[in-house]
Amino acid sequence: MPIKEKGYTHWDGELKKSKYPWIPITRKGIKLAFRKKFFKFTFFLTLIPAIAYLAGIYVSERLEDFAFLTQDSEIVSFLKINPGYFNSYFTQGFLLFMIVVILVFCGAGLISDDLRYNSLQLYFSRPITKKDYFLGKASVIAFFLFILTLIPGIIFLLMKIIFSGNLKFISDYPWLIVSITGYSVFLTCFFAFYTLFVSSVNKNRRYVSILIFGIYVFSDILYGIFKGIFESEYFSLLSIKANIQQVGAAFFGQKLPHNIPWIYSFLVLLFICMLAGFVLNKRVRGVEVAQ
Amino acid sequence: MMEKKTEKDWSFLSSFGNVFSFFFLLGRKAKKTKVFYLLSFIPVVMALIVKFGQVFASRSSLTGIYVFSNFIMTFYLQFIILILALFFGTSVCSEELEGKTLPYLTTRPVSKASFILGKYAAYTLLIVTMTVVGVILCFFILNFNQLGDLSLYKILFRDTAVLVLGLICYTSLFTFIGTFIKRSIMFGLIFSFGWENVIQYFPGSTQRFAIVHFLKSLLPSPSSGRFSFLLFRLEPTPPFMAVIMLILITAAFLGLACVVFNFKEYILEE
Amino acid sequence: MKAVIKTEKLSKWYGNILGLSDVTLDIEAGITGLLGPNGAGKSTFLKLITGQIKANIGSVRINGEGVRNNHRLFSKIGFCPESDSFYEEMTGWEFVTGLLKLHNLPSSEIEKKARKALGIVDLEKNKDRRIKTYSRGMRQRLKFAQAIAHEPEILILDEPLNGLDPLGRRKLIRLIKSLRDEGKTVIVSSHVLPEIEAMTNDIILIHQGKIFAQGDIHYIRDLIDTHPHMISVKCSDPRKVASRFIKEDFVLNIDFSSEKDTFVVKTNNRDEFFRYLPLIFIEENSDVKEITSPDDNLQAVFDYLIGE
Repeated sequence: MPIKEKGYTHWDGELKKSKYPWIPITRKGIKLAFRKKFFKFTFFLTLIPAIAYLAGIYVSERLEDFAFLTQDSEIVSFLKINPGYFNSYFTQGFLLFMIVVILVFCGAGLISDDLRYNSLQLYFSRPITKKDYFLGKASVIAFFLFILTLIPGIIFLLMKIIFSGNLKFISDYPWLIVSITGYSVFLTCFFAFYTLFVSSVNKNRRYVSILIFGIYVFSDILYGIFKGIFESEYFSLLSIKANIQQVGAAFFGQKLPHNIPWIYSFLVLLFICMLAGFVLNKRVRGVEVAQ
Repeated sequence: MMEKKTEKDWSFLSSFGNVFSFFFLLGRKAKKTKVFYLLSFIPVVMALIVKFGQVFASRSSLTGIYVFSNFIMTFYLQFIILILALFFGTSVCSEELEGKTLPYLTTRPVSKASFILGKYAAYTLLIVTMTVVGVILCFFILNFNQLGDLSLYKILFRDTAVLVLGLICYTSLFTFIGTFIKRSIMFGLIFSFGWENVIQYFPGSTQRFAIVHFLKSLLPSPSSGRFSFLLFRLEPTPPFMAVIMLILITAAFLGLACVVFNFKEYILEE
Repeated sequence: MKAVIKTEKLSKWYGNILGLSDVTLDIEAGITGLLGPNGAGKSTFLKLITGQIKANIGSVRINGEGVRNNHRLFSKIGFCPESDSFYEEMTGWEFVTGLLKLHNLPSSEIEKKARKALGIVDLEKNKDRRIKTYSRGMRQRLKFAQAIAHEPEILILDEPLNGLDPLGRRKLIRLIKSLRDEGKTVIVSSHVLPEIEAMTNDIILIHQGKIFAQGDIHYIRDLIDTHPHMISVKCSDPRKVASRFIKEDFVLNIDFSSEKDTFVVKTNNRDEFFRYLPLIFIEENSDVKEITSPDDNLQAVFDYLIGE
């Protein structure tokens, strides 16, 4: 009679390598973000501009029903649905401000908590690479930012087509979908690098929250002050917000808000991403070397 | 026993003093203090750049005192002191909770009120020192060719006093917030960069629901020009009243912080 | 003896989770061991008696005074928390002296007491190093040092031996026992049974927020007379000796272990068994090597009480 030993039981079959080992990290990060108090409320607040702009698209197709609005020429020009309309949504100050607030909620603890609780060793004792780790963490940020950028952009486009009842809008601006996608990816990549970089700088999440917010606001104030003193547009390169708006205008083929080549702004943001990548690579290590 | 005979009768003031010296030492050694010292010196670097631009490149026609009062002060008033007060104010309580060091303090013969006030005083002194040193350096850099003009020192004294009052008041508010809100940083950021900015544009008494209103009431209104929008719609409170209000606000928030800390139960995350 | 710490119907909820249920205890001077598995309510109990959290129902009194918001009481209480948390940027010396300052002692006293406390825990050589460079054992000893530095009458120690090596544990256990000899009241919590056994016979068993038993370990064991006792006997001729017990009513089971010279008896009447055993040895002319009671310890008591 065979004796079955009830010892430690393990899978005898072949262990397959997961195609997307970073997905559990992303899933967990998203779940943790939603568990935070007031995050859902704040995230909803961030969607308000999208709802307002969607309403604008609807009103633009029914101007005759909203005659009281057409008396104000500013509102009429605002309701002209063109790439400028999309640009004004994607680069508005309120949306960018709220994105930074969302990043504080969902991004501040992404790496700083792992550093604080020595979880990096737990991560890297599993069959995941540093690339998977960063991809997983960045995807948490990408998830929320795409909901605020790419998805509203595509919905605006679709709703415009549906409300107008024809494809004229697409034929007039065939490159718009590329602009929406390209800008959303660019913005998400930048903020992912930025947030992960700041999160990796310190183990204290409170400190990181202040840094994420503070650096963004400080850069803008710095620009305002230097511009006021020296009256030069080139100081806009100091401001993260100004650089994003400059690149956004370039993506949507609009008049640049600052009188400098948009490629300079793009290079500044690219430099920040490269610096962030360098620091992240140094800070995130599987084994802590005690000195 | 000899130890009992040498123990003095404790008073609130001596407990306050002991807590103050404990956290002043701790605060001075902390890495974060060094980082925030650097942050508070950013305006000094800005002042150097501006002065360099003025002296060597003739890039700006603005006087040193104008730049100091309108730019450097604005930067301090609407950014630096908010960040310093937010971080250090909320740290009074939150630091002990996050670091789980609260039991070391609540199991000492020190009243909870003296702990809150002592730590608040220690951290406020640290950030006031950071700010005052930076402000004075900025002033000297921007006005180095006019240091003989004694009237400028009145402006320096006034502006420094406003910043110090602002720090004391904001720190007390954030100390209170830190005693009862877990996500005190988020709340503080939204208050500082949301509420405090937006409310100033409301007319009438609504402006008085912002601490920055009382601080700006102590500063002269800017001449009409490109920067008057900074004080758009300001209906200033008389300076004496503004100072009284700031003191009352500080006392109220500190009192509330002491009460909350005394009665609230803090359960440390295991 | 007069109770130093009295709790009456002490209960604590964390939301819907019961932390402590209706605990009424009188703790006297000496060492009292608080024993229970993780999550039993030991830390909750200690936090309640040190006033860190509020009881939902019931009261705690130390020397007749309420604890919550009574800061003056803490000049007589020393608390060693379980969590490994410090002001990492401070040195060990700054940490102990800083906390001693909060007792309003003069500087000369502070220095003397700090040096004594750090000397007791063997940290005097490392006192000027930053706490963040300390090993786990050093950190634990530092926690203990800050608890005893002001020479309190009552010591409350939450898992004080965590992270210590065997030598460190022995030293600390000896130290805790010396505190008892000085007339102090010490409450020690642990989930490691031999540690508690080594320190005291007075124990409180706690599980799922309830007190299961309180008193002398042996007295508690005797209370459980329905539970059979196991006795291991090592002798030169175990089968011959064991065969003499087979027919006795008080012997429920005999096991022969893998060791050839040992047998284990399960009996429901220890006293009768031990009265009979020497007679058997003499009659059978057997050499006795060892007699032990494998379950006459806290593990067996505990396992039985919590039904495991």
